[in-house]
Amino acid sequence: MIRRILALVKKEFIHLRNDWWLPAIMLFGGALELLMIGWATSRPITNLPMMIWDMDRTAASRNLVISLENTDVFTLTEPADSMTIIRDQMDRGNINAAVIIPHGFSEELSSLNGEPVLQVILNGAESMPARAAQRAVEGVVRNLGEEITIEHLGLDPEDLAGFDFSLRVWFNEALNEAYYTTPAELALMLEFTILVFAALTFSREREFGTLEQLLVMPFSSLEIIIGKSIPVIAVGLIDFSIMLSVVYYAFRVPIRGSLALLYLLAFIYTLVELGKGLAISVFSKSQHQAFLLVLLIGMIDFLFTGYAAPVESMPKIIQLFANIVPAHHWLVIMRGILLKGSGVMDILPNILYLLLLGSVIGFFSIRYVRKALD
Amino acid sequence: MEDSYIQITDLTKTFKEKTALDHVNLSIHKGELFGLVGPDGAGKTTLLRSLAGLLSIPEGKIISAGCEIHKNAEAIKSQIGYMAQEFSLYGKLSVLENLRFFGDMYDVPSSLQKERIPSLLSFAQLTDFQNRRAAKLSGGMKKKLALACTLLHRPPILLLDEPTTGVDPVSRREFWVILNNLHLEGTTIIVSTPYMDEADRCSRVGLIYQGKIVECDSPAVIRSKIGGEVVKVVTHDWQKAREVLLPLKGILEIQSYGEALHILVDSAEKHLRIIEKSLQKHHLDILEIRVISPRMEEAFISIIRKMDQVN
Amino acid sequence: MSYRHLWAIIRKEIQHILRDRGTFMLVLVTPTLVLLLMSYSLAVDIQHVPIALLDFDQSATSRDFVHQITAGEDLDLYVTVDSIAEIEELLTRGKIKAALIIDPGFSEDLLALRGLSLQIIIDGTEPETGGFAVDHIGWRAESFASNILASQMQARGIQFDSLQPIDLRIRAWYNPSLTPRIDLVPGLLSIVLGFPAFSVALTLAREREHRTMEQLLATPITRIELLLGKIIPYILAGLVNVLIIPVIAMAWFQVPFNGNFLVFILLSILFLFAELSMGMIIGVFMKSQSSALALSFLVVMFPGFFLTGIFFPIAALPELARMESLFLPGTHYAIITRGVFLTGIGLDILWPYAIMLLFLGLAFTGTAALFFKKKLA
Repeated sequence: MIRRILALVKKEFIHLRNDWWLPAIMLFGGALELLMIGWATSRPITNLPMMIWDMDRTAASRNLVISLENTDVFTLTEPADSMTIIRDQMDRGNINAAVIIPHGFSEELSSLNGEPVLQVILNGAESMPARAAQRAVEGVVRNLGEEITIEHLGLDPEDLAGFDFSLRVWFNEALNEAYYTTPAELALMLEFTILVFAALTFSREREFGTLEQLLVMPFSSLEIIIGKSIPVIAVGLIDFSIMLSVVYYAFRVPIRGSLALLYLLAFIYTLVELGKGLAISVFSKSQHQAFLLVLLIGMIDFLFTGYAAPVESMPKIIQLFANIVPAHHWLVIMRGILLKGSGVMDILPNILYLLLLGSVIGFFSIRYVRKALD
Repeated sequence: MEDSYIQITDLTKTFKEKTALDHVNLSIHKGELFGLVGPDGAGKTTLLRSLAGLLSIPEGKIISAGCEIHKNAEAIKSQIGYMAQEFSLYGKLSVLENLRFFGDMYDVPSSLQKERIPSLLSFAQLTDFQNRRAAKLSGGMKKKLALACTLLHRPPILLLDEPTTGVDPVSRREFWVILNNLHLEGTTIIVSTPYMDEADRCSRVGLIYQGKIVECDSPAVIRSKIGGEVVKVVTHDWQKAREVLLPLKGILEIQSYGEALHILVDSAEKHLRIIEKSLQKHHLDILEIRVISPRMEEAFISIIRKMDQVN
Repeated sequence: MSYRHLWAIIRKEIQHILRDRGTFMLVLVTPTLVLLLMSYSLAVDIQHVPIALLDFDQSATSRDFVHQITAGEDLDLYVTVDSIAEIEELLTRGKIKAALIIDPGFSEDLLALRGLSLQIIIDGTEPETGGFAVDHIGWRAESFASNILASQMQARGIQFDSLQPIDLRIRAWYNPSLTPRIDLVPGLLSIVLGFPAFSVALTLAREREHRTMEQLLATPITRIELLLGKIIPYILAGLVNVLIIPVIAMAWFQVPFNGNFLVFILLSILFLFAELSMGMIIGVFMKSQSSALALSFLVVMFPGFFLTGIFFPIAALPELARMESLFLPGTHYAIITRGVFLTGIGLDILWPYAIMLLFLGLAFTGTAALFFKKKLA
């Protein structure tokens, strides 16, 4: 049996050699992509173009502008001198925010009964940077307001200094973006790699009618499944190793937990995704159809991994659904082992889910493939 | 050879390290039905693809119907009908839609298409299947449809790469009837085939082996070139008969066809008796024994044997 | 250019799209489907963040404070604990995303105006959620403190309203409530409308794999006719979605459409041309459908997600990635869709992006035509 499986594996690899693009993309494409996307997106939001219309032109207003600039969130554009310019630049999408400092801002600010007003306009056409801009402006203005209040009340600044509270961030003390984006991106790439590769195995042979050829040879359906799976598992784990090195060496994400446990679970995860891919591959009559299904399933999985939006905030039904998405558990496991140093007990529910999903998907996909083969 | 229609001069084509065509020289006249025979991998497909302008030609020349294919392959394309070895039709398109597609590709005006398609369909015996998807046709029907697709623009040159491989004998026969009709109409046809009986139907045959044209003449001449005659023997125990006969002097080679043995000898008259005697000596019953004229197949095999011995 | 050739290819390709279930779904149905799916699951407001509480103060003030913080939908008090060790375990297991620790003497310090004796711990592996909790607690803590401050000052006879004397008037144009879905839906158009690009890549690779390419190359068709014939049907198919999706966006998601519909259609055609040409390049270079497919994910799909400014602003990308984003048609189209849907701008402002799309389309098609040889070897 072993020898026959080896013969099948060899055949698969020979096929890969004939079209060297596919294995090259499978092995290195994900890692390159991870490097590029991780590098591009693992940073705080900075450089948002902001326009200032300073009608006040006093030391106090300039001080405010400098504080805004010092947040690093904004890059100041040419200052505005009319609402028309702000409207125009906003329409063109050239600026994400504009701050208007009215006449007499500093006077109002310094007088005891003054009512200083500050106008902020956000570009709602890009809500994500708009929110970031809002948060930054509010922070600056809050600090300024507190200073002014303390001054007005004639209090000792030391007294009120404590209105800030102490914040501690665990597992990611420096709030390094790469810590949470890159493991998630790794999970995404790994899933697509395995799914694409596994989904192609049978659909390709079906499209060209070579599956019949395989069936008349003296292989049992189990041998065919194993023979087809080994290259996928091999590619998946190699791809995982390369990407893990990228995450570890290029993005300096720590591996605080057990590497052996991580690999063991990566292996299980690979098997689960492989099962999905095999089911897709027998279900599809052509590679195009297989591709369609990979796209849809991959997309759904991506949405429920909790990468783009936290699962806890989704409607209850969607949260339940997220539990049957293997990538969701895999992401929790990976974040746990890499960043939190979690042991088996800490991520036990996720491991159990993964095993359960693995058995269910494995059982059905093998049954399904065997039925299609026999 | 003064008015050769297709002239191939010193054509050489290599893929990576492998030489597919090695200084091929060949000229073909207008209206010929030229057969290209040779074992798999001999270079038949490469030669036909070169003639169809599908390969870059870094070495050698092909002038076909006045077009210099080695310089500009595009001009020839409207002049030829090319049927690839693994001709694939568009499976999702019906028979009629496939025909129309290739008709448009070859700039056949709609009015002419309307005129020609019914006759092509009936001549390919596909009239009843015209609305069936190409993917659902049988192997023989697919081949006939493929041929019809390449004929719609009435090309003066037809290049067919193993058109009858994998086709049942009845369809094969029908296919050759079609080719003969086209030949009679004056189309220049170059057809490659692994079947030697088909080579016999051509007006001229080129034997291609290891990228070289080793023999090129009419089938009768090629057959006569093998330098021997054939004795056909039918016995019940042909395996034993073969063993008995092989060591005899003057027997060049023995090929078996079912229960019949074709024995290539230097002189049939002389050997007919000797063969009969030695078979009787070994108590083998002889159902039939007679001198026959050599077939293309014997000629082909013996030429290749000689080539191999020289090497 | 022979229109007969072009039309024959287009007709054949349309017949294929309509008859092949996989292609039909991918090109005509999936874009709308994925758009619906994504706008539902990506545009969620963070809510119900589970937090733990460790109250060392145990005073009426601290209880009042906790009550104010956990009121509403934003934070959920998951559990009250007695030790830091418990918090650590809960965070490690991912049961809570943040923890609030009220130090001993919290109420005393507050009443004496010595400040807020609070600690917040967040899970740094999900800083979006953690940051949300911090912001939320911060706001509530500030208003809580300033109320106390105000009452103290009043007792001393000083008039005082708030710690915040500056009246900050924030307005968001085009999307006043900053609802993520409003700008995400137009943005996602550049991803989902790009789906036919996969089919373009696959259709060329399929002809090669199924050997119909050999037959096609033997005909007098020119490569430009072939490539245009391959892309036009998918542009038409994409246009079907260009018509459907705005209707869904407006009717279903209440996304406004402030621009000119004709401009939108025109620029969408340019986008489809540029985006689908990317698929064409892949199809020209890849020998098999499987490698065409894998490469499509890498060069069309993922960069489309991350580098076109839909989720992550272009301005915040590093220089090199910003340069790369200029070569992605999706970047320009995302600006166009937000412009016509939300800002309501027209060609007078959008023309540079239109020209960029046209340029990319011509450059990609040109590259594809340059490398597409009418030869087998």
